[in-house]
Amino acid sequence: MARQAPLLTRTLAIGLAAVAMLLGVAVVVPALLDWRAGPDLPPVTRMASPGEPIPAEALAFRIRPGDLSVPLDAEPREGARPRTMEAYRSLRAYPGAPPRIPHEVSPEQSRANLCNACHAGGGYVPRFGAYTPVTPHPEFSDCLQCHVPDAGAVGAGLAAVPTDLSGVGWAPTDWVPSEWPELDQRAMPGSPLWIPHELRLRENCLACHAGPSAVEELRTTHPDRTDCRSCHMPLVTEEPTFTRPLARSTGGDS
Amino acid sequence: MTAVDRRTFLKQAAMASASAAAASMVPGVTFGAELHDYLEGFAAPSDVTWHKTPCRFCGVGCGLQVAIEDGRAVAVRGDPDSPVNRGLACVKGYHSVQALYGRDRLTRARVRRNGEFVDVPIQEALDLIADRLRETIEETGKDSVAMYGSGQWTIPDGYVASKFFKGGIGTNNLEANARLCMSSAVTGFMTSFGMDEPMGCYEDIDHADVFVLWGNNMSEMHPVLFSRMLKERDRRPDVRIIDLATRTTRTSYAADRSILFTPQADLAIANGICHEIVRRGWADREFVDRYVTFKEGRTGIGYGLEDDFSFSDRATDASWSDFVEFLDDYTPERVEEISGVPASEIRWLASLYGDPSRKVMSFWCMGMNQHTRGTWINNLVYNIHLLTGKIATPGNSPFSLTGQPSACGTVREVGTLTHKLPYGDVTDPEAREKAAEIWGVPVENIDPEPTHHTVSMFRALDRGDIRFIWIQVTNPMVTMPHLNRYRDGAEKDGRFIVVSDVYPTPTTDVADVILPAAMWIEREGLFGNSERRTQHFQQLLEPPGDAMSDTWQLIEVARRLGYEELFPWSYQDHIDGIWAEYIRFHDSPDHRMAPLAELRQRPGIIWPYVDGQETKWRYNTETDPAADPARGAFDFYGKPDHRAWIWLRPYEPPPEWPDEEYPFWLNTGRVLEHWHSGSMTRRIPTLHRAVPGAYVEIHPADARALGIGEGERVRLVTRRGSLELPARIEFRAQPPRGQVFVPFFDETLLVNELTLDAYCPISAQPDYKKCAVRVERIGVE
Repeated sequence: MARQAPLLTRTLAIGLAAVAMLLGVAVVVPALLDWRAGPDLPPVTRMASPGEPIPAEALAFRIRPGDLSVPLDAEPREGARPRTMEAYRSLRAYPGAPPRIPHEVSPEQSRANLCNACHAGGGYVPRFGAYTPVTPHPEFSDCLQCHVPDAGAVGAGLAAVPTDLSGVGWAPTDWVPSEWPELDQRAMPGSPLWIPHELRLRENCLACHAGPSAVEELRTTHPDRTDCRSCHMPLVTEEPTFTRPLARSTGGDS
Repeated sequence: MTAVDRRTFLKQAAMASASAAAASMVPGVTFGAELHDYLEGFAAPSDVTWHKTPCRFCGVGCGLQVAIEDGRAVAVRGDPDSPVNRGLACVKGYHSVQALYGRDRLTRARVRRNGEFVDVPIQEALDLIADRLRETIEETGKDSVAMYGSGQWTIPDGYVASKFFKGGIGTNNLEANARLCMSSAVTGFMTSFGMDEPMGCYEDIDHADVFVLWGNNMSEMHPVLFSRMLKERDRRPDVRIIDLATRTTRTSYAADRSILFTPQADLAIANGICHEIVRRGWADREFVDRYVTFKEGRTGIGYGLEDDFSFSDRATDASWSDFVEFLDDYTPERVEEISGVPASEIRWLASLYGDPSRKVMSFWCMGMNQHTRGTWINNLVYNIHLLTGKIATPGNSPFSLTGQPSACGTVREVGTLTHKLPYGDVTDPEAREKAAEIWGVPVENIDPEPTHHTVSMFRALDRGDIRFIWIQVTNPMVTMPHLNRYRDGAEKDGRFIVVSDVYPTPTTDVADVILPAAMWIEREGLFGNSERRTQHFQQLLEPPGDAMSDTWQLIEVARRLGYEELFPWSYQDHIDGIWAEYIRFHDSPDHRMAPLAELRQRPGIIWPYVDGQETKWRYNTETDPAADPARGAFDFYGKPDHRAWIWLRPYEPPPEWPDEEYPFWLNTGRVLEHWHSGSMTRRIPTLHRAVPGAYVEIHPADARALGIGEGERVRLVTRRGSLELPARIEFRAQPPRGQVFVPFFDETLLVNELTLDAYCPISAQPDYKKCAVRVERIGVE
């Protein structure tokens, strides 16, 4: 019974939403589509297809000009504190781990899940003298389920966070993270870099690899190219190439 | 064999390098400039030289520059001087040279003796091939031998094959894999315009406001053109990209709108768009009255599933009012019933095509071509452009893309298809006279009757009507639909099969002789891309071992059969000789081709090339020297009435439809990383490691209903075969409910054992995109 109540609520909600949508369709769509004065574009929707999003691709093209507070090809302003590789790594327990939050999160912010107000669009934050990192997955809003503030962080932690946290009351640990991947991995001189990390939750390359908030070593030289994975590949197997026996034995004559 | 001597090679290499350096100073390169600067900065040792070449892979035809060091290719960059890609390439192009160095590269000829392959010197293998070819012709006639090539053939390969088989042996048993890729595009052009290949060019992308992609996952299949399109949308915010497809792909996510339709319903959608354009008064009646004729063809035309199937269309005159009446069946509401696309979306599409202030480009490739009504859907998309007068001007461009690097250059322009000659059809006495004159053969040598298209050719091999087949640069034992039948046929006794390739494949498995082929820049050659651009590449590397170019293999065998006079050239000058002879076939303002000296210097030249000018827009009297200004702004001179033809082509269902026993649609195709049957790209570590094997894409809701989890093995069963492979639910693309998709690059998971060999009766191109399949859960083993 305890499980059925939410289900019932959900069914009701879906039903109400469907009715609202039908009303919307009945009223709005004909108004948009009956162009007595000539053709015009109805509002563009990115996705008309039903179905669930596909983690590996659905958000690959999320960032478009105008989506961000600062253009992707903008140079960081004079005096802005750069986001360093050292700080980037020190906020992550291991390569691929969700970064900790190096600034204070007020109880109000925490309750309202306001992270995306800054981290969806990025931009310069005078209080910290730095650019806000852009999240590659703004479709999630319960940010604090993966990203947690460091104890006592008030913004000063934008520089590298000390890995020895015993001073803030943490128990010592023998944890050894996996190696950070080399940055310059490619097949031949000049050929496109491989993607040395998994793509789950990081499908949108430009969020981390372009714009003034990107770590300099990770920033692309060509942020205007938005179909990143037409050139850059993640490697999912260690096996270098396909190999086959010279010939299957067959009944061929001769 | 005689290879190009080192001195000539070095001299040519130096010339190519100098021209590339000179060309890079040409201003106006923007697309790839920063990448170019970046690459200039990477430490290149002084003994590395860079040379231009078209990419070896798809039909986009990107210009590449390849770095050669100590006789080996060591790096690749996009050629900033190529107007195609302006310095960019895709991941396949950037890693293309690694395909030359796979460890199992074929370097020796192999002959099957008592069921086992034995290495032999290549000259001995060529002797054997010539003997068997002669014996087969003597025993069972000239039409019992056949040649099967592809759109990966260079232009000289295809030209020599045509001259040898059609001019020498006198059989029309000459076909190419391109039949499986774009013959519907050809018949579409021929029936609508009377001449093959697009009227526009890639430069249309710089002018168009709306891009409609008809069943074309461009982001993966034509990535560089897609990037050009995205760039235009960034530059001009009003640009709209519409993905009209049966499956949600990377392209859908990048598009401004993704519209999914029921397989085969594109026919109804195109007619629905025309219906709305006519009803709203958006048709350009002045254009239509002056430049268009209406035609009706046969209906209920079948699917080619029977061995003795034959079909010929008949065009009957129709009128504007016939057309309007025909469109009555395609109200947006009726189209919604057929296609599942809301009527509002049909109206919206019509408004884009119909808005006189917007320039519209339509793109398509396999989605429309691999279709049992492939010719019809090509006609129908041309109808939309003709009805609105949006054609043959910058940015108004129905654009048929190709999949192979020289499907246009070799198969379509040289005409390596059963019914074709380098100029015209075998059935046309004038075309035969012209070929006989240029080839120096008696006109009686050229058979006026076409024989077998590809599917029919492999059926003839199975039946034993064809007993000798030579297959070059393609892999039919992966790519033929209904593969089991054709592999069983190829393996029957009394069949002699020669395969020229660069790696062992399932096709070399059924061979009696394997010839090692020189690949791409290991020989001199030419390709022709989707925008009528002819592209030359110099020999930059020595082929490994005994490997020999396909052109030269053919010449060697032809000479052994006594055709020395047809092939009088030395190895050093054979490409020059072939080109000079070949372009005599096209020596008129509607198809004139550039001389080799210019092609050697430039990153491709678009034909017709008249008085030193490329013709970017054909049929437009301002830009096309073959078009007669007295006829107005346009002259569709391919047709005798100088008009383009709007065809009244109805919706007809596909031959197989999901039912209770086989409840899903099966769609097949490519992925970005792998090119065609994967025999090259799977030897490139970056590409193989990104996508190591085939899989079946299933919609999450279908997977849930069947109890299938990500990565679990499932069994696909059709009326023709079954296949076990892993399910991907959250990988890259997503079919809608009731459909599954399998890529065909993986020779260990041959999806073509499941596909149906139904084809378009007009083009004879099979439909790889639709058949009925059952999905069975195997579960965790």
